[in-house]
Amino acid sequence: MADFLSGYSIQYWLESCPQGYLEDTEYGHAAGVGEPELVLADGLLREQAIKVTTQLVVGERCALAASSGLINAAPDEAAKRFLATQTLDEARHVEIFTQRLYDLGVGKGDLESTLREHANPNLVKFAETMLEKVDAKDFIPGVVGQNIILEGMAFSVFEMMHAANQKLNPKFGQTLSGTIADERRHVGFGENYIGALIKQHPEKKAEIEKMQKEMSYYMLATFADQFSGDENRAELDEMRKKAREAAGDGAPEGQWQGRNLADLDPEQMEGLLSNTVIGEFKTRLGRIGIDYQTPVRP
Amino acid sequence: MSESAEVHALDPEAFEERVHSFQFWFEAVQGYLTDREYGHRPDAQDAELPESDRDRLVTVLCNYCIGETAALDGASGLVAVAPNRLTKIFLSTQVVDEGRHLEVLRHRLVELGVERPEEEIERRASPRLRDFRQRLEALVAERDWDAAIFAQNVILEAMEFSTFHMHTQYADPVTREVLVGIIKDERRHIGFGETELGRRLKHHPTLRDRLRRVRSELDPLVLATFEDAMEEIQVPRGERAELGRSYLGAVERLGVRT
Repeated sequence: MADFLSGYSIQYWLESCPQGYLEDTEYGHAAGVGEPELVLADGLLREQAIKVTTQLVVGERCALAASSGLINAAPDEAAKRFLATQTLDEARHVEIFTQRLYDLGVGKGDLESTLREHANPNLVKFAETMLEKVDAKDFIPGVVGQNIILEGMAFSVFEMMHAANQKLNPKFGQTLSGTIADERRHVGFGENYIGALIKQHPEKKAEIEKMQKEMSYYMLATFADQFSGDENRAELDEMRKKAREAAGDGAPEGQWQGRNLADLDPEQMEGLLSNTVIGEFKTRLGRIGIDYQTPVRP
Repeated sequence: MSESAEVHALDPEAFEERVHSFQFWFEAVQGYLTDREYGHRPDAQDAELPESDRDRLVTVLCNYCIGETAALDGASGLVAVAPNRLTKIFLSTQVVDEGRHLEVLRHRLVELGVERPEEEIERRASPRLRDFRQRLEALVAERDWDAAIFAQNVILEAMEFSTFHMHTQYADPVTREVLVGIIKDERRHIGFGETELGRRLKHHPTLRDRLRRVRSELDPLVLATFEDAMEEIQVPRGERAELGRSYLGAVERLGVRT
């Protein structure tokens, strides 16, 4: 186990992350790159950007609490060291997405009230389900919740957002790109390491499957809140119109999972995201010996 | 104006926003960790140590690993207790610093020919340091922010800072490089502890009495640990008092006197 974990050393992390893809960045993006004028000047686009970024801060705060909380419960020193790098990665994500809220005009004194106002209640429940395990120092369910469920969801959400934003908003696209690189490392750790632990503790499987089912339900409910309904449809139509006008002839588009996101209506986007994440869950959980449990559809 | 002077010219709120950030940590470590592998230059030449010196060094490094594991568990546990975003982010940078210290010290043990570092650390661990670790863990588990930050970022960090600083004067070149990098991190951690507690002491004067009690409980363990370490490092008797003075100076800057 420890030999495998040597691939997740702090030395490797220092070379690949602070001295690698983060070199010459400031708050996750190239120095001097700002939010597009269109986003800052338009009330609807700015409000939407704040709402979306709030969910990212909520998710990253949960990941920070989980990765730091799991260090004390980790069964060996090599896992503690990997989780130490993950703790700092998650803290960096909290910092860069919080900075984005400031860049979007949220006052420093208004940060917490903004988060309370916009945080999706289902995302909060998703986080609480996992943090119960972390608080109980229950390492195996805690690390499955963190490195497979939460990170797996975050990875796909960030990739989709990156595809949608890289042309329209290069600053946000760059921020997401560094975050995706981190998440890829975290997901890899979860699979390799936890598979071996679950083999040693098969009695934990039922508890993990129950947690996964609950977390999956809250995740799908969060997606439904973000995409479904007439209000979301009208807002998305309006935002696309503004983006097209700003882009002129070069209509904005973003390819993800073989689809052009600009062609999809909100329900289709929700379906594409949900199916992608669930497909990934099934594959990754299968690799560690856990059967995916289908939740009730929200 | 230098970077350090620029930072200190900021108003208190902006100062904290800056020095507790990932960004600040990132820029700080780039200065002294770039081109280092496991804490030293890759081409640093290891000195040939007599067996008795090597064995003593292994004992010292094993106990440093115990201290760093206590610091890693303590700092990570405190992220959940931290009262705001900035203190959470600072502690996250400390978590990775402590993880790095554990890694480079363990790696140094391997370089010195220790085949199973975990077993060796367990075998050579000082009971007093284990005791210190348990008491720190208890403060973190009780979610006692003030007492735990005092024990972790003032007492433990000052103990490590003083010991490592003393050790650099007697260490072989490779161990010295490893320790010098760690000391740079420890300065940041002590600075955080002093700033955080200094502000809280201003608003809660009764806190000083509580911290005094924590200190009187931990001081005997720290001083006994110093004795063990100086024996193994073979610090000349005439210079041993300096280690205690260095530690007491750091702890008493906050006005917490026993």
